[in-house]
Amino acid sequence: MDILYNYAMRMTSNPDDAHDLLQETYLKAYRFWDKYEKGTNIRAWLFRIMKNTYINLYRKTVKEPDTVDYDEIKNFYNTIKDESADPNDLQEKLFGQLLDDEVAKALESLPEDFRTVVILCDIEGLTYEEIADFVECPVGTVRSRLHRGRKLLQVKLFEYAKSRGFIGKD
Amino acid sequence: MNCSQVYELISEAVDRRLSGKVRQEFETHISICGQCQAEFTSEEMIKSLIQHRIPRAKMPAEVYSAVVEALAHERQSEKRSWFTAFFGQPIFNPAVALILILTIAVGMYSVVKKPLAPKLPNEKNIISQSIKNYAAVMAGSIKPKIMSHAADDVKDYLKKDVSFDISVAPTNGCDWCGGTLSEFDGVKLAHVVYKFGGEQNLLYVSQTDLDEAMKGEKIGLPTDAKDALEKTGWYFQDKPGKYNLVMWEQKHTLCTAVSKMDRQKMIAFLTDTGE
Ligand SMILES: [Zn+2]
Repeated sequence: MDILYNYAMRMTSNPDDAHDLLQETYLKAYRFWDKYEKGTNIRAWLFRIMKNTYINLYRKTVKEPDTVDYDEIKNFYNTIKDESADPNDLQEKLFGQLLDDEVAKALESLPEDFRTVVILCDIEGLTYEEIADFVECPVGTVRSRLHRGRKLLQVKLFEYAKSRGFIGKD
Repeated sequence: MNCSQVYELISEAVDRRLSGKVRQEFETHISICGQCQAEFTSEEMIKSLIQHRIPRAKMPAEVYSAVVEALAHERQSEKRSWFTAFFGQPIFNPAVALILILTIAVGMYSVVKKPLAPKLPNEKNIISQSIKNYAAVMAGSIKPKIMSHAADDVKDYLKKDVSFDISVAPTNGCDWCGGTLSEFDGVKLAHVVYKFGGEQNLLYVSQTDLDEAMKGEKIGLPTDAKDALEKTGWYFQDKPGKYNLVMWEQKHTLCTAVSKMDRQKMIAFLTDTGE
């Protein structure tokens, strides 16, 4: 199942760890097969095993912040407001100059919960309802995590653009 | 709708989940409110950036083989047998389901390429013969000698003349099943056909002695299929739009199923225990 491999890659950011995580997930699924409820979504079940395995094996012990720094976004708009009639126009140009790797790195830097829903929705194309089943939370939570996840990503991308010198030059 | 109500709906709008009156009100609002319009466009742009700039990681063939091997090792250490689960036994082995899911991800069984072994002549190759037979059954040029609604009738007829076990799945969900026998260079072959609703819907299964197939003197298998069977107990091949082939070991019998049905349906049918 490609969702699992892709998710493993996006969570661990490296092929060796992704392989280990995938293998561990399948072995656990085999050992705990009697825990699988027949008739429920097996992809969701495997996904949850992978998520728990990831948390046990890889998650940094530091609790990641889960708030979006809206001031950063406001500042961003203020910075570029004077330079362009439409801030989105300029933003598109700025982000267009970023490398694919930088975009992927920005995604991988998001806190787990946000990264997960963004991957499942925007890369895997799952519906909110499917995602709710995968991560075991209400649809409303999926929606708000998605919104905040995308906002966070916007801030990250803005930081990259700034550090690359695309913005803020006099 | 006011700005904060609209703001709440931005993600759903970006993901095209709004409809009817809500969607209408949302669109009306953003057409007159620059700030909400900008928020919407901005989130839409971020989504499209993720979609287009972050490639989906594809599972490499080596990872696939390694996981299959790990599962195989696991079941060996537990002395559980995978394929006794086929036909008539009440336990559906988890490894079967898991490998199947894993296999769907890579499309088909594609292990790391090995140097080519001497080519197996087509007429000896169980895979090409099974595909050929499937085509002949579809065309009506091979006809079953016996046809019945009961799997046991077909099984009883076929097993009289062969030394290996014959497998016939319960006929739940199919119109009838049929069978016939043949011989190639002294090797006995049994052929089972299942007919499902609709003109073109046939499932063909050839069966022969597993040792004979593995020995490869009179009939045989290509190296990749042989490796896969030895490692995992089964092998898949497909030609999209043409056929799906599923091969597995059942005690001392090698079964090769060919059909246009999708692979999951085939396996579900062939592993049906008739509960
Ligand atoms: Zn507004």
